[in-house]
Amino acid sequence: MMPGHIVRFAIAIVAFAILARLPVGLDPALQFDAALAIIWGFGILSLVLLTGYAGQVSLCQATFAGVAAYGAGMTVASMHGGYLLGIVIGVLAATVLGVIVGLPALRLHGITLAIVTLGIALVFDKYVFQDHIFDWFTGGTGGWQVTQASLLGIPVDSSTHLLTAYDVMLALFCLVAVLMVNLHQSGAGRRFRAIRDSELAASTMGVNLTRYKLLAFAISAGIAGLGGSFYPLIAGSVSPQPFWVFTSLQLAAVGVLMGVRYVPAAALGGLFMAVVPDVLTRYGHGTFMNRFNYEISYDWFQLAVGVLLVLQLILLPDGVWGDIRGKALRAWDLVHMKPREEVRPA
Amino acid sequence: MTMLRIRDLGVRFGGVVALQDVSLDLNRGEILGLIGPNGAGKTTLFNCISGVIAPNEGTIHFEGRSLRFAPPHERARRGIARTFQNLQLWGSMTVLENLELPIDAIARRNTLSDALGLPFSHYAERAASERARAIMHALDLGRHAHQLAADLPAGIQRRVELGRALAMRPKLVLLDEPAAGLDARETEHLAKLLHKVRERFRVSMLLVDHDMSLVMRLCDYIYVLDFGKVLSRGEPSAVRNDHKVIAAYLGEATPETASDGEEAVVVTAEPRLPRTDALDVARSTSPLLEVKGMAAGYGHLEVIRDINLTVQAGEVVACIGANGAGKTTTLRAISGVIRPRAGRVMFDGRNITGARPGHIARMGLAHIPEGRGLFPRLSVEDTLKLATDASGTPGRLEAAFDVFPRLKVRRRQAVGTLSGGEQQMVAMARALLTQPRLLMIDEMSQGLAPTIVRQLFQMIDVFREQGTAVLLVEQFVESALAVADRAYIFEHGSIAHDAPAEELRRDRDLISGSYLGSAPDSTEVIEVAANGNGNHRINDPELMEILSLRVPAEVKRALEERAERQGRSAGALALELLEEVEHTQ
Repeated sequence: MMPGHIVRFAIAIVAFAILARLPVGLDPALQFDAALAIIWGFGILSLVLLTGYAGQVSLCQATFAGVAAYGAGMTVASMHGGYLLGIVIGVLAATVLGVIVGLPALRLHGITLAIVTLGIALVFDKYVFQDHIFDWFTGGTGGWQVTQASLLGIPVDSSTHLLTAYDVMLALFCLVAVLMVNLHQSGAGRRFRAIRDSELAASTMGVNLTRYKLLAFAISAGIAGLGGSFYPLIAGSVSPQPFWVFTSLQLAAVGVLMGVRYVPAAALGGLFMAVVPDVLTRYGHGTFMNRFNYEISYDWFQLAVGVLLVLQLILLPDGVWGDIRGKALRAWDLVHMKPREEVRPA
Repeated sequence: MTMLRIRDLGVRFGGVVALQDVSLDLNRGEILGLIGPNGAGKTTLFNCISGVIAPNEGTIHFEGRSLRFAPPHERARRGIARTFQNLQLWGSMTVLENLELPIDAIARRNTLSDALGLPFSHYAERAASERARAIMHALDLGRHAHQLAADLPAGIQRRVELGRALAMRPKLVLLDEPAAGLDARETEHLAKLLHKVRERFRVSMLLVDHDMSLVMRLCDYIYVLDFGKVLSRGEPSAVRNDHKVIAAYLGEATPETASDGEEAVVVTAEPRLPRTDALDVARSTSPLLEVKGMAAGYGHLEVIRDINLTVQAGEVVACIGANGAGKTTTLRAISGVIRPRAGRVMFDGRNITGARPGHIARMGLAHIPEGRGLFPRLSVEDTLKLATDASGTPGRLEAAFDVFPRLKVRRRQAVGTLSGGEQQMVAMARALLTQPRLLMIDEMSQGLAPTIVRQLFQMIDVFREQGTAVLLVEQFVESALAVADRAYIFEHGSIAHDAPAEELRRDRDLISGSYLGSAPDSTEVIEVAANGNGNHRINDPELMEILSLRVPAEVKRALEERAERQGRSAGALALELLEEVEHTQ
């Protein structure tokens, strides 16, 4: 291990220690939000690799998560085994789908690729998650009920052990985040970034485009799936609604908003996606100055994301995290009288 | 031994023949030059060799093995590296990373091991970074190691591209216009660098460049391409004196070939009489266009400097010179497409320096850019209407159709579906309709067949008769000089000569010198030390050689430290130490 690796692992452990304490003692709804935040965090983390590093557009990350959720739910509900197997099956299913979605990306770029992946999200939403033909996979209209579950012997089901599940997910998230940063700074990460900057140069300098594009899609789908496979655990059941088209769009939008090239932005984005709409709908109604009744619904959140995205693209073009980081680095250099050299995304 | 063997290569894009029956042999250790006018198929040939496009016919063998089914990355692994005419660096990565990537792209690396940071990756990483640093040292890029590639000036980016190509231990490097945008001194520096690279890295090279002085100096053998075919080949001195080559470059009036249904137009061959009356009247007043001390460029790169030129009312003036000499940039700076960095542009007695292009166009200065600036989906009629609407004189399309009858037939056709010559007619008709006082045309004849080019040159006369002054940028020097009153010869970003066209037509040596490279000036010894980017000399090619033997980083550092203490080159020191070791053994 290089010194960089040790520092990264240390940061991850500290982050885990702090974040694991956060939802303790909160009411169960907010604890659920915290767990959901990690699932969406994984979703955005998957985009950091795919879009941020490899430069490929995808508007079906929630579909990967959904496939993994159903896969995990099906495995656990029908086999009554440990939840670990469910996670493995879920991630595998998502990875396979990722490779399939990656195939058109070998030829397509930018807006066309976006439309194709959006189409895939639509198809899965309407004709897989909500169709009776796939009842064997989706568990029918009721979905799979996961009431009892254990991971390596530890009970992690949502009803009583939600925080245990949260801790497991958080640990995995921190681990994957560190691996992602390692990847970024390594030879494989450089190859992904080379594809983003110039495919032409990458291929003529020895990068196997087919291999690395498919790899990017596979890993990305696997990461999104890792998050998704925990959904039945924390929600108690699976339904199509969390994984519909709009969630995929939102993942992309929030990813860009927070800075799609940066790993920590995934944590920010996940938190934003899970907590803000819930808090808004829960506390966002009442009477203002005893006269005006107001009610902020979920639609407002979607509108807010749109407005924020426009503002961000103008004011913080590198995303919230990216720009804050850049400014902090510059301020640091100013204080230490060093000439500005580079801004490395990580 | 033949390293690269190309036989009967043919490439077609739709109906356009880009390459036809091209055969080429490159021996190990040789620098092969590939020259030819714009659109001759040089870059297409590069794309075929590096696997970016697949040829329609023909074979390419590299070291005795066919490349037919090898994808680009496989060719890179076999030892073919290339640079790009339009720079293709990975802009968001640092220079160091740009150089590291090809090194470990060749070695198969494991993604999982990279993510986990396993020892295997750690060692590979260190080896890559060491070799990258060694190459940066040899190419004098050390100070830019941690800068993002996109932030560097174009000249340094070209050097990074060269370094990147060398990083993957290639056997053959394809260099696509490495000297584009460099001035005379930088080109000189590049020539020395390439020479050194050949010696130290033992690579063969295939070099495409428009700077003939560079190609003639550096290459062992030269192939000349024209219209996708090999026009001529031979030693530099032979090619230089080949009249076919000179004709292809300068567009010399060749004997009329069988005209294929086109109305043959004969350009007046006798020298034009200076129209003294008109010129004298014009000279007595102020000139229509007057440019003084203008400089302009892109990003960090200054392309033109100290440009002084004038155009009188009703005069036809040609700008000629090799590619990258700054002609196009000059036109762009005049018409406001880019902002001049210094100097003054006066049009019709008013200062238009840095004014918005729309404003300048409304004053009566039309600019037909290289590539014509047309909208491919718009019909001919709509394109022309757009011009008349903008200039506030609607509905007078007939004037344009009188001059270009062929456009009337095609009035409903989308511009993008027209032939290149017809598209140029549309662009000229559009300019005509805005009734400009001065028309600037950039590379009017680029990519067009000779018969069409003759017709277009006749149109210049039409403009002159209407009292419109014309400023031409042209590769077909002969034709341009036939129609122009005066000409400016551009060399390396400034104007080298200024003379009446008639005089230049007689003094052919001057022109062929500016295109095919004047004989190296022995009195002017160019010091390599100041290469425009600092004062570092590349004094350590020996170090390069030793470092490529995988010296551990600590040893390398110790070497450099000791060299610094003793005030000598690290390479020399290392060589000495090595010799000592050999003696003791």
